[in-house]
Amino acid sequence: MLEIKDLAKRYGNVVALDGASFEARPGRLVGFLGPNGSGKTTTMRCIFGLVRPDAGRTLWNGAPIDRLARLRFGYMPEQRGLYPRMRVAEQLSYFAQHHGMSGRDADAATKRWLERLGLADRAASKLEELSHGNQQRVQLGAALVHDPELLILDEPFSGLDPIGIATMSEILRERAAAGVGVVFSSHQLDLVEDICEDVVIIARGRIVAHGAIDELRAASERRHLDVEVEGAGSGWLDGRPDMTIVEEKGDLVRLLVGADADLAALLAAATAAGPVRRFSFQPPALSELFMEVVQS
Amino acid sequence: MSRWRAVWLVARREIFERGRSRAFILSLGLTLALILGGIFLPSILAGPGASAEKLGIVGTPPAGFQVRLALIAYQAGIEVSTETVADVASGEPRLLDGSLDGLLVVPADGNVPTFVVKKAQDSQLAQIINASLSTGPALTLRELEPSDPNGDASFLFANVGVILLFISIFTFGTWVLTGVVEEKQSRVVEVVLSTVQPRDLLVGKVLGIGLLGLVQLVLMVAVGLVAGTAAGRFTLPPTTLPTVAMLLLWFILGYALYSTALGVLGALASRMEEASNASSPVSIVASGAYIFSLLVALDDPSGTAARVATFIPPVAPMVVPLRAALGAIEPWEIVLSASLTAATIWALLVFGGRVYSGAVLQTAGRIKLRDAWRMSRR
Repeated sequence: MLEIKDLAKRYGNVVALDGASFEARPGRLVGFLGPNGSGKTTTMRCIFGLVRPDAGRTLWNGAPIDRLARLRFGYMPEQRGLYPRMRVAEQLSYFAQHHGMSGRDADAATKRWLERLGLADRAASKLEELSHGNQQRVQLGAALVHDPELLILDEPFSGLDPIGIATMSEILRERAAAGVGVVFSSHQLDLVEDICEDVVIIARGRIVAHGAIDELRAASERRHLDVEVEGAGSGWLDGRPDMTIVEEKGDLVRLLVGADADLAALLAAATAAGPVRRFSFQPPALSELFMEVVQS
Repeated sequence: MSRWRAVWLVARREIFERGRSRAFILSLGLTLALILGGIFLPSILAGPGASAEKLGIVGTPPAGFQVRLALIAYQAGIEVSTETVADVASGEPRLLDGSLDGLLVVPADGNVPTFVVKKAQDSQLAQIINASLSTGPALTLRELEPSDPNGDASFLFANVGVILLFISIFTFGTWVLTGVVEEKQSRVVEVVLSTVQPRDLLVGKVLGIGLLGLVQLVLMVAVGLVAGTAAGRFTLPPTTLPTVAMLLLWFILGYALYSTALGVLGALASRMEEASNASSPVSIVASGAYIFSLLVALDDPSGTAARVATFIPPVAPMVVPLRAALGAIEPWEIVLSASLTAATIWALLVFGGRVYSGAVLQTAGRIKLRDAWRMSRR
């Protein structure tokens, strides 16, 4: 398990991290969310010793993360980069060896991953000769080639086309299913909601929410109620000024209600107005939850 | 995994990636071609008849001397022009300034003539004149500047050695500089540093590129010495081996010193365009040391200036091998100077390594030395 405890980091007057704490369990996909400048990259850099925190600790399986522990991690930094003029296979093998693999194991792992990433025919090409999308794949390969126990990926989906996103999602899910810890940051909240089990939301250097997505959504005090009453529009709500209309499209009305809303009474009011085509009560989407916790 | 393995992996990557790059192979080939050309071309161009010797004559040579001289000189492939000089006193200055190559003094009393030259070595002329004088006894040879028979070769080696050192140190030091900036610019440095300590990355880079530099230097020296001897340009003085050993030792020390400094300064730049700007303090020091060595130390290798410079680490890598080649340095001076330089390299790795750590992940614009120091993790 990855544990981040009370991480704090200041750059001059800028507070990058202000006592951030969370855990990430292996075997689960963890989305690490937060607005720009909220401390995601700094947290990741602290895990890899690239930034020395002013205070706080990072632990892996209960032990402080040191150089040797990091050899078993895989990292994809936000600012992508590999050696442009180095050949793809040699490059991956090089990084695998830096993670402690022997030359032979590194070459074998490189071959395996290039096939998995669909780049087997580009093994001898220089990186700069590859398309942008293929370079991204090699970058992912560099994070994966040594079979890490923990994957930390900063914005792995940014800049990917839909096929790239599908491949990336599949690989991340597969790694998590294999028992690897996978933490990645992203601004694509719907995607995160789709593929992640857990999220950690950071704002202004503090963790403002974390846990299983389903539980966080369920714990919200707000609910969406979508009601469609044929031919009635929002007219059936006239007597209920306490209801907030979020969206109105034809006869479909989206309401914001409390988790304890009296659904029976609302359904009765709707039924009285006309034939009810839809009546759906659901917790807010991750993106709404995100806005809620980040702005509060 | 040990840190040394990480250093070696970095070094090995540099050796393989750069060693087989077109740039390295071309520059090596070109340098070797220049050396060979420099050695063989003059003797090829200077074919028979191409060199002209100017002979001054004091007094009256025996009858028929001029004709025999012309004939023998022609056979030897040398053109000799003669002129009459009033006396020895007016001829000697002209030997020194080079407007005469030899002065034949024929005494009026019929005694053995004297042949005066600046240096005995360069006188094929003496043999020709000797053969041209029909009178029996060999002529007396007098040198104006008697010199150690190995002096010229030593001087040549000292000169060429400094030039080779400067070029090698700076070429490969610049590779470290651009290598550091390239890693920053391509952002690959963050991936590398997720497993490698910043100082180990710097040391590995310096080591790998340095080994390439050493190979190139050894090749250049070997080719130069073998070809030079074969072409008869010089005979190897007995001090050759120690001189070459000094050259290699001081390449290692000088390169380690300068390339580490350049690597640290390179980390302060974010883009290649800023690299030369960031490295200018080191370039200025290196050029100063080079000019000092060629202008001051070569002229007076045992003088106070050269002795003081021996103990200034940035200058030592050029001054010490130069003084050693000229036989103008004490062993203790070499040991002390090398120790001082090694200590400076160590200090540079400790302090510069910290600056490097602090700066190498900052990818926005030029970083100030002070900020980099503060940003560093330790």
